[in-house]
Amino acid sequence: MQRLAERVKVAAIFAPGCQVKPVWFEWRSQKHAITRLSFFWKDHLGGASRLHFAVSDGSNLFELVFDTSDQNWTLEGVEEQ
Amino acid sequence: MNAFFASVEQQSNPALRGKPIAVIGAAKRTIITTCSYEARAFGVKTGMNSWQARQKCPELIFVVGNNRKYTYTSKQIIGIMREYTPLVEVFSIDEAFLDVTGCLSLFGSAERIALLIKERIGKELGLTCSIGIAPNKLLAKLASDMQKPDGLTVIEPDKVSQVMERVPIQDLCGIGAKMQQHLAKFGIRTCGDLGRFPVEILKRNFGVTGERLHYMGLGLDSAPVVPEEEAEEVKSVGHSTTLDNDITERREILIYLLQLSEMVGRRARKYQVAGRTITLTVRYADFTTFSRQESRASHTNNSEAIYQAAVKILESLELTQAVRLLGVKISNLRHHTEQLPLFPAERKKALLANAMDDVNNKFGDFAVTFGSLLGKESGSKVISPAWRPEGVRNVDVD
Repeated sequence: MQRLAERVKVAAIFAPGCQVKPVWFEWRSQKHAITRLSFFWKDHLGGASRLHFAVSDGSNLFELVFDTSDQNWTLEGVEEQ
Repeated sequence: MNAFFASVEQQSNPALRGKPIAVIGAAKRTIITTCSYEARAFGVKTGMNSWQARQKCPELIFVVGNNRKYTYTSKQIIGIMREYTPLVEVFSIDEAFLDVTGCLSLFGSAERIALLIKERIGKELGLTCSIGIAPNKLLAKLASDMQKPDGLTVIEPDKVSQVMERVPIQDLCGIGAKMQQHLAKFGIRTCGDLGRFPVEILKRNFGVTGERLHYMGLGLDSAPVVPEEEAEEVKSVGHSTTLDNDITERREILIYLLQLSEMVGRRARKYQVAGRTITLTVRYADFTTFSRQESRASHTNNSEAIYQAAVKILESLELTQAVRLLGVKISNLRHHTEQLPLFPAERKKALLANAMDDVNNKFGDFAVTFGSLLGKESGSKVISPAWRPEGVRNVDVD
């Protein structure tokens, strides 16, 4: 996976039960609709919880990260399929 | 779990499913941590280097592992298990023993519990596991290894001797290659052979282990399932690291020792343990490994004190080869300790360590650290077999 670590704009659904589901994101002036969430995991960096989402837009695999401490979304990496 | 790390990667990246993949570390020494069943079909095995693996399977896809993804997933799986019984003993990151005796009236049978757990792990995480059901831990582990991947094997109490008769002794957990060789000298090859062999001769040759071997051959094991909260307190806190390259320079060795000492000290302070004995482990390039230890007058969990003790040990050694691995450990532990320092110099050191811990708790390990470690990659790169989801054995990995 190519590491990017770029801040991105993300639309997500925050559902009851602390469920977060990213729906689309904008990266390099292009909107990518998320067609599949293939894996989710959580880790910590110091006091910050980070939610990791392995998602696909139907073409490529992306890793989106939501930092709960500063509410930022980061596109951590991309893998062309 | 079945090929745990590789299965997690195949689940994360659907393009890898059904393909031969090998999970490797991010470090320069690329040893295969685990591989998918598709890769195993080509003869790829854990512990091979990437070149050997590529010889076996030219189409092999290498994936750099993500330890945090695996530890999180492991915790989720353990959480599912604990919904069926509180008696869960985590054996490693991808293995656990469950005692379901007290929960049978709630769920019906052990088989039903096993199927429910398999279903939940499959549905919620997309992973498969193999489960063994038997009267004790030794047999349950044996049963779980009998059918992989995605297996469910039951050894009924009245079928134990029949099953054990032909099982090769090396299939038993706890019998390694050396013990297998020793036992072969007595003509013992199967568990049936082991169970029938005179226990007195086993005791004469293997001491107390001889009696245990006899019972293992009969499929008997009295060890209970011990959940984390009832487990014995740890006897040591340590970290080791395989270096990116073999090194000979003392200056470089010292930097690694400082880094390891800080990791040990920080974890010891977090869980309020302090040690009186400091051990330094060195592995040479030819894999010769040795440890030396030094006991202090008082207990400590101060990183600098641990480092100074490790340096003292290093200075007493004459290194004859380049170093491949270094390890630092504190033992002879005192638990739930918070010694208030009496003297100003000691108090300053404790305050400094506390201040550094506070910053690192907020911004992440090594956010503030010793000047010598600046710019150096830090943290645990490998999930130790002793890793556990909670407590002092819960090592944060990178």
